[in-house]
Amino acid sequence: MTQTSTRMAAVIRDLQKHYVLKSETVRALRGVSFEVPEGDYVAIMGPSGSGKSTLLNLLGCLDQPTHGSFLLGGDDVAQMTDDELSTIRASRIGFVFQSYNLIAQLSVVENIEVPLYYMGNLNAQSRKRSIELAKMVGLGERLDHRPTQLSGGQQQRVAIARSLVNDPYFILADEATGNLDSVTTEEILALFQRLNDEGKTIIMVTHEDEVAEHAKRVIRLRDGEIQFDKPVEGRKVFTAEQIQEIAHNADVASRGAE
Amino acid sequence: MRYFRTVKLGTKSLLLHPMRSLLTVLGIFIGVASVIWLLAIGEGISKEAQRQIEDLGAENIIIRSIKPPDESGGNFRQITAFGVTRNECKLINDTISTVKRVLPIRELSQKFAYTGNPNVKPVDGRLVGCTADYAEVTRLEIERGHFLTTREVELNRPVCVIAAKLAERLFPSEDPLNKQIYLPEKKENFKIVGVLKHRNATAAIGGSLAAQDFSLDIYIPVTTMRARMTDQETKRAGGSFSTKLFELSQITVQVKSSDDVPRTAELVEATLRQNDADRQDIAVVVPYELLEQAKTTRLMFMMFMGLIAAISLIVGGIGIMNIMLATVTERTREIGIRRALGGKQRDIVLQFLVETITLSIVGGITGILMGLLCPVVVDVSRWGLEYFAPQLYASLPEVARVMRPTIVPISIPVAFGISVVVGVFFGLYPAVRAAQLDPIEALRHE
Repeated sequence: MTQTSTRMAAVIRDLQKHYVLKSETVRALRGVSFEVPEGDYVAIMGPSGSGKSTLLNLLGCLDQPTHGSFLLGGDDVAQMTDDELSTIRASRIGFVFQSYNLIAQLSVVENIEVPLYYMGNLNAQSRKRSIELAKMVGLGERLDHRPTQLSGGQQQRVAIARSLVNDPYFILADEATGNLDSVTTEEILALFQRLNDEGKTIIMVTHEDEVAEHAKRVIRLRDGEIQFDKPVEGRKVFTAEQIQEIAHNADVASRGAE
Repeated sequence: MRYFRTVKLGTKSLLLHPMRSLLTVLGIFIGVASVIWLLAIGEGISKEAQRQIEDLGAENIIIRSIKPPDESGGNFRQITAFGVTRNECKLINDTISTVKRVLPIRELSQKFAYTGNPNVKPVDGRLVGCTADYAEVTRLEIERGHFLTTREVELNRPVCVIAAKLAERLFPSEDPLNKQIYLPEKKENFKIVGVLKHRNATAAIGGSLAAQDFSLDIYIPVTTMRARMTDQETKRAGGSFSTKLFELSQITVQVKSSDDVPRTAELVEATLRQNDADRQDIAVVVPYELLEQAKTTRLMFMMFMGLIAAISLIVGGIGIMNIMLATVTERTREIGIRRALGGKQRDIVLQFLVETITLSIVGGITGILMGLLCPVVVDVSRWGLEYFAPQLYASLPEVARVMRPTIVPISIPVAFGISVVVGVFFGLYPAVRAAQLDPIEALRHE
């Protein structure tokens, strides 16, 4: 991990985003710069109106900056067309949303495959990979279940598996634990830590300090600018035994629920 | 693999709302089925009309005698002869080279009785004086015995050939052949030498020719008729007598080739009107011309039917569009998710288009199947109507009872093609609208 830490998952330079609302211009981001090295675990925090969501949309390639650059694996997202942005989202970014955002018509494994479907990479091998990911998040026995048949925590685990399927530059988690109770929140955070320990880069947007405490680094926004960007002091880390236990408990709990 | 997945996904999404999808399909189904039905029925009706005209004979020219309206009232009216004459008949036959033969025909309405069976009441029918060629020219077919022969005509024989229905009425339990038919009004007897096959009536054509029902006819030699009944016909009607004086009711001119018909018709008309251009007591009917007219009418009719069917397809298409617009709104969030996960705008367009095309194809195929059932359904409903509401059935126009819907083969691919085009056309707008949603907005949509 230390060997790869010099490679950048994302490089952001003087990122600005202005919205024109009727006559006035809202300057949602007023020049934000930071770098996310591979293997980092960043929490982006800030009160509402701080530009958090705007930054998230830009990082997720859902939107384009008014000014500045966003380098993703050497490509400048700011210059891309809509189709190119779609391709980047399909192939290089792993979204995890607050409300899971699984597609109701699709089974667990089909949901995991959606980014591959849009990359045009559906084949027997990709199916195998999706099944492996489902197993990895503890849903190997529910491949054919529909989202409505799963609990919130399970749905979020499917979403995390989906975010990993295209081997992204980073996982972009938007209030990923916002809809979950404390036990399930822990379950998801343990999973994030495990993924990060395995070398995955995670950027998560949250307003909860307890959640941010699990990250390695916190970027706090205020009024469209970075208030501070510093490593987390006294980071909460799950031990390997804890991770195993949480996974086990989650498994038992979901079995009991059936 | 990918397109298969798209279609599979589309089908799944449609099955998520089975009732809604069913109703949408129904719109296209009705549209397609009605295209095929209306064209089939239109074709059936015009075929029937053509058949009836062809029954008159495309190579025939028909000259009918028409009784002029009575000018003087009271009983002291002078009886004047009207209509075509035997001389004119001969004249046409002798002078016009394109004429193959000419048939003199005289018709009278008469009562017919059979005295051998006291249970049988006299039947009102039509007495037709004709020649041996009549059967061939008017396509009458003999069931038993033979039609009038040239010899019987030449010798003024008191023989007759009777139509099938009349035979059934007068001889419910006997063999009509060689029995005597009695005409109470004329006090004459005729020996039956032949019985005809059943035949459907012809329709009235263009007002100049009344509908002809052959089912209660008796055919006798026209020579016998003249010898025994003269040219004067007296009828009692409501206490007073009316007298008509005419030689022939009709002459049918058969032309050698149907190509010569229009020219010959002109010559015939000129011959008949040579002394009086404004002659009112005859009418010349040319089935060949009617046939040509019927063909144009058929085209108009088909276009009209097609238009109605097209309207119903468009209504079906609007139904699709309506549902898809609602679906797009309802699935805004799904669109947002798909865009966030890498779906391009054209992927979204394709996804929704696949759904509408699936709907319209399903509607198209089921509509075609329903369309193909048209002849069966028409038969069954006729049967049902005849069984449960015979009076209503009897009051239907002739053509509705005998017409056979004929599926126009081209209507099947056309209907199917239109349904797909309608699906694409009306599905495109909602699909494009879905694709153009801002992914951020769409994701935020509850």
